Amino acid sequence: MSGTAPRPLLIDCARTQLRVIGALIIREMHTRFGRHRLGYLWLFFEPLLLGAMIAVIHQTRGGDGIRNNFEFFSIGYILFFMFRGIVNRSSGTIGSNRGLLYHRQVTLPDLFYARHLIESIACTGVMVIFVIASVAFGGEFPDSPVKMLVAMGLMLLLAQGLALMIGAATSEWDGLERLVHAASYLMLPFSGLFFMVDWLPEWMQDAVLWVPVVHVFELLRDGQFGDKFRPIYDLTYVLGWILVPHLIGLAGLRLARNRLGLE
Amino acid sequence: MTLELLDVHKSYPMNIGRKHVLRGVNAVFRKGERVGVLGRNGTGKSTLVRILGGVEAPTRGSIRCTMSVSWPIGMAAGFQAALSGADNSRFIARIYGRPAQETVQFVESFAELGEYLNMPVQTYSSGMRSRLGLAISLAVDFDCFLVDEALAVGDTKFGRAFAARLQHAGLILVTHQPSLVRQLCNRAAVLDQGTLTFYEDIDEALATYNSL
Repeated sequence: MSGTAPRPLLIDCARTQLRVIGALIIREMHTRFGRHRLGYLWLFFEPLLLGAMIAVIHQTRGGDGIRNNFEFFSIGYILFFMFRGIVNRSSGTIGSNRGLLYHRQVTLPDLFYARHLIESIACTGVMVIFVIASVAFGGEFPDSPVKMLVAMGLMLLLAQGLALMIGAATSEWDGLERLVHAASYLMLPFSGLFFMVDWLPEWMQDAVLWVPVVHVFELLRDGQFGDKFRPIYDLTYVLGWILVPHLIGLAGLRLARNRLGLE
Repeated sequence: MTLELLDVHKSYPMNIGRKHVLRGVNAVFRKGERVGVLGRNGTGKSTLVRILGGVEAPTRGSIRCTMSVSWPIGMAAGFQAALSGADNSRFIARIYGRPAQETVQFVESFAELGEYLNMPVQTYSSGMRSRLGLAISLAVDFDCFLVDEALAVGDTKFGRAFAARLQHAGLILVTHQPSLVRQLCNRAAVLDQGTLTFYEDIDEALATYNSL
């Protein structure tokens, strides 16, 4: 609303936005998992199961040292699971919430933030479970849990920037959605989930370090294993990949909001 | 406390050029007024409602709002169809900063939905949906209620209770049913050719509308 009404204070706007995001989170949980308590468990169970499976498969394949390490693959997979979950869901976010836009305080970015918070809370929870489990079964305590959490936060923001952009783009061009799903699968081998940059030949290292996600994986492994190997990452590069897509995405969503017809 | 539209234009991009729906709408709605806006199908009623509700921005012109206006209450507006009426009530209560439990209790006693309150909204009839929307908006409480079209209240217990609540609040009712305007409103306007004309006398407005 514009005009003579006194401009609301920033703190009130922030409070409203938090209220909306909180309400959206509860609503999203209800629509995704139904109203049963067991449904909420699925939120944790899915990444837990998939992460454990990937880790077991790689363990049975053998390898030496870290290459044959349960935590390496299970926790790494959780990071990738969160990234893919956020990016893949982004194309449907606007469509499945269109009716709620009748309430003027519900903004398009809020719809995304609510979903991303659910995803990242679940994945952080599962990460903690894996760390505790591995310590319980004789593994070592992570070198720096803080670095692992920072890696989680950076991955969230990295995925969020892309999700905002994809959400804006798919509201204009539907077909893009299929490309997004394919791309997120094809990305898996280049994501840094299965390798450390240090293991690769030099020419491949240079190539793979163009992928921002790889840097986040290196940071995660730094936190997990400390000086057991040489991690290679540049966080300013990652920050660039967070900032620019956020700006483009938020701008795109403002344009999309004006063009979006409510039924 | 008013809601004012100043030379509001709205156009949408079409395959060939733009479709101009509103071409300079001027209006002042005061708190406590019950205004009926009549328009034939395709004259831009829904567009006007969305602009009044602040969910769509005008292409040109401005809106001044110094009272709280509800979201556009209608058939589909503002609900998640897969969730129950109670869940939708709680969601809307939360985003407007109202206690969720009290809101559900109010809706339960007011909307006459019975067991359906805990069923998904997609199983509701159109009458039930509009009762749910109205009941939630009454629980949240606005200076002005903005109602779009299908207001299946009639001369029922719900309809009378709703009319009683409106004695202390404002209403903007956008509809194609003259009988509703006569029943609920004390002022009327006709939307035609992209502009809005106000009539102080309801009969005059209805006569104009019927001659369109």
